[in-house]
Amino acid sequence: MVKAKRKPLEEIADAISAYGKVLTVGCGGCVSVCLAGGQREVQELNAELELTLKEKGTSKTLGNYTVERQCNMDLLQEMDDMVGGYDCILSMACGAGVQLMAERYPNIPVFPAVNTVFIGVDRDIGMYEEKCRACGECVLAYTGGICPVTRCAKGLFNGPCGGTNNGKCEVSQEIPCAWLDIYERLKGQGRLDDILKLQGVMQWQNQLQRTVVQPKFEKRYYK
Amino acid sequence: MSNENTAGVDTDRIKKRLDSRKAKMKLSLAACAHCTLCAESCFLFNARDNDPTYMPSYKFINSIGVLYKKKGVVDRATLEDIRDVVWGRCVLCTRCYCPFGIDIPEMIAFARNICREQGVFPDYEEKGSIHAG
Amino acid sequence: MKSGSNLEKILAAGHFAFTGELGPPRGANIEHVKEKAQHLIGHVDAVNVTDNQTAMVRMSSWAAALLVREMGLEPNYQMVCRDRNRLAMQADILGASALGIRNVICLSGDHQQFGDHPNAKGVFDIDSTQLIDTVRRMRDEGTFISGEEIDGLPKMFIGGAANPFADPFEWRIHRLAKKVEAGVDFVQTQCVYNMDKMREWVKQAVDMGLTEKVYILPGITPMKSVGMAKYMKSKVPGIEVPDDVIKRLQGAEKGKVAEEGIKMALEQIEEFKEMKGVSGIHLMAIEWEHRVPEIAERAGMLPRPVID
Repeated sequence: MVKAKRKPLEEIADAISAYGKVLTVGCGGCVSVCLAGGQREVQELNAELELTLKEKGTSKTLGNYTVERQCNMDLLQEMDDMVGGYDCILSMACGAGVQLMAERYPNIPVFPAVNTVFIGVDRDIGMYEEKCRACGECVLAYTGGICPVTRCAKGLFNGPCGGTNNGKCEVSQEIPCAWLDIYERLKGQGRLDDILKLQGVMQWQNQLQRTVVQPKFEKRYYK
Repeated sequence: MSNENTAGVDTDRIKKRLDSRKAKMKLSLAACAHCTLCAESCFLFNARDNDPTYMPSYKFINSIGVLYKKKGVVDRATLEDIRDVVWGRCVLCTRCYCPFGIDIPEMIAFARNICREQGVFPDYEEKGSIHAG
Repeated sequence: MKSGSNLEKILAAGHFAFTGELGPPRGANIEHVKEKAQHLIGHVDAVNVTDNQTAMVRMSSWAAALLVREMGLEPNYQMVCRDRNRLAMQADILGASALGIRNVICLSGDHQQFGDHPNAKGVFDIDSTQLIDTVRRMRDEGTFISGEEIDGLPKMFIGGAANPFADPFEWRIHRLAKKVEAGVDFVQTQCVYNMDKMREWVKQAVDMGLTEKVYILPGITPMKSVGMAKYMKSKVPGIEVPDDVIKRLQGAEKGKVAEEGIKMALEQIEEFKEMKGVSGIHLMAIEWEHRVPEIAERAGMLPRPVID
């Protein structure tokens, strides 16, 4: 799922400083799961904002609401009757949700309250790890199910490079070398041949905005 | 209905919520013919070996249907049961199909709304927290 | 001849090649380039001109390469994958060739995090092996990566890097093999201190027939101090410094540590001259350019052969 992290309070407070009535909107999807922008985080953020405003001797009307998924227009539209009473919206969804919200209510300023960080996995509660850069040209077949685009600091395709250092990346002793892991896994599976071949240049598929239409639906969307 | 059961639940607020979409909710519940066509369109139903409790019709009847029938006068345990249905058995992919045009996702989202308002929603900070899919 | 560069001629004629290194200045001051280059002229066959080395912004490597060329020193134009995409790289290959640069060294490049712009966007559109393949294709097949034909083929002698000391050791020879398959003409290695491992790696290259297709130039960096040796051992990724190297430096008389470092380098060079599969050496005298003439002299490298 998409993983996000809340922005620093000062940045959020600064963004909404010119507005009196603010609606903080959470999302029941990915950002709830990674504890960045669900209903609980909406309440926490508003409480924190309330406190800093009080310290500064000001106040605002802070509304809160959580939509099941901000990246779906059908689920977003239930806010139609609500937003009119506010001067701006603080969205706690990922970048996709923030943008759909801004599209739905083009006359109301919408500000992001989280930084969308990556597509990743749940390592444990509160700990998430990046796994995919959505390059659109998956190479996991020959890399033993380990993504060099995401995990190799240089995104190499013919590694491991000469900077491999005791199984770690040259960038940091905290970062395992992706290509060493690829090497070890393929060796264990007797598949080293997969990386002895010269890999040609990548055909990047993420250089312009993409739309996915599944084959079954092509007739519906492409006339 | 005794008040003890409903401690910690703002039943008036639930009722007001239900009333706001009463017509659509009533029509949806009445229209369901239990034809099970929606089941086939639910990937979770398929993935869970055709477990009937994953049928979209089951899920909306056992959530918004319960709230409607009891006119919003429910206890917290009931809300928690509903939570397990509308979050634990549905990801709101919005892909379920109903030949009568019942908007099942809207009904599930509506039930989630009411639960949220009462402070009942998934706790992702808890190990093994409910997580459909 | 693939490019007709001096380095190619020296190696093709079977001479033991000797290359040096020059880091461009962190500014537009040409005097710095001249100062460093003057120590190298006539003492090396070609000099690597580094490309934003250690991810610090410096005078561009093609510009510095042209400057040293004007001074009569043949440049090994270095190009890293960190700062350019495939369009810029192919364009620079054409431009460098047009202006008379004849050697190019294709490298991944240190990660931007090491430098003074750690949050720069690393390009890494293609990797070093793919860059080698790209230059070879431009030179030999006359096509860009896209497959489109080139009007006026670049003449380049293609270099690369190899590190026999990174792990896993058994992978290293295969990585060299991939670069050979991609079309590399010569490789310079990471600084060598572990001679046992180096001998084994070169033997593997000979046994696999790689040395018939690629010239191997081991990297030599004389140790200036015990501190430098310890730093390289613990802090520089991909460099292996055995304990006996540090012990030997520690055993040197006070004030004679640098001399001991040079002696060790000279011993290595002597061994490499005789080692089957090795075609020369690459001297990386880091911020020690003024000692290059002396080291070259004592290593018996002078005078450098001149081939028309």
